[in-house]
Amino acid sequence: MAKNEIKNQVRRLRFENGEITQQQLADKVGVTRQTIIAIEAGKYAPSLPLAFRIAQTFGVPIEGIFQYQDEDPQPSATSPDA
Amino acid sequence: MNKTQKSAWCGLVVTLTFLLLCLFLFIELTILKKMFFFMNLLGATLLFGLVVAWVIFICKKQSPTEVKTDERDKLIQTRAIVASFISVGILIALTCLILRFIVGISGTIAVWELTLINFLIFEVALLVYSVAILVQYGLGGRDGEK
Repeated sequence: MAKNEIKNQVRRLRFENGEITQQQLADKVGVTRQTIIAIEAGKYAPSLPLAFRIAQTFGVPIEGIFQYQDEDPQPSATSPDA
Repeated sequence: MNKTQKSAWCGLVVTLTFLLLCLFLFIELTILKKMFFFMNLLGATLLFGLVVAWVIFICKKQSPTEVKTDERDKLIQTRAIVASFISVGILIALTCLILRFIVGISGTIAVWELTLINFLIFEVALLVYSVAILVQYGLGGRDGEK
């Protein structure tokens, strides 16, 4: 079974945006500090609205924060060898 | 620690106290065959006090900006409710099976025993709910860098 992971840049962006604390970010996006900790640790994938709120807070596009990584990518259907 | 975690810890303490009191009551009624009124009253007062403290603890807000629950808390609570519901099903099935072997298929049990069994099932469900919440937070919500 393929292992999928969502990498994120939340911690880096917090420090690049005036070193805001996890609590300050949590208050801005309307979640608890524990949720920010879990997101940064990659243990929780946020919902789309929350991901957009985090992106808006940092003023970056959503793909600038969250990147989807498929460790076992499926072969392309339009492969030139096919 | 957020509100859901605090509530789960309070639930755990109240549930364990209640289970201990039930065990004490059971020993009184079956082994000692004597009621200790003062001890029972003390236990009931302690339990009532813990429940009141639980409600105050939950209602008290630490800061005006504090978020009560968010989407992750709701997800954790949903999983805990499922675990609790499954535990109730298993407990009811086990109780029926055990009673079948103890008193027989046409046997009878006292009303107070049935009441105690019902309360115990409810309390174990609450215990499973609290433990499931704390385990889920423990797995993915450790306090990190500020």
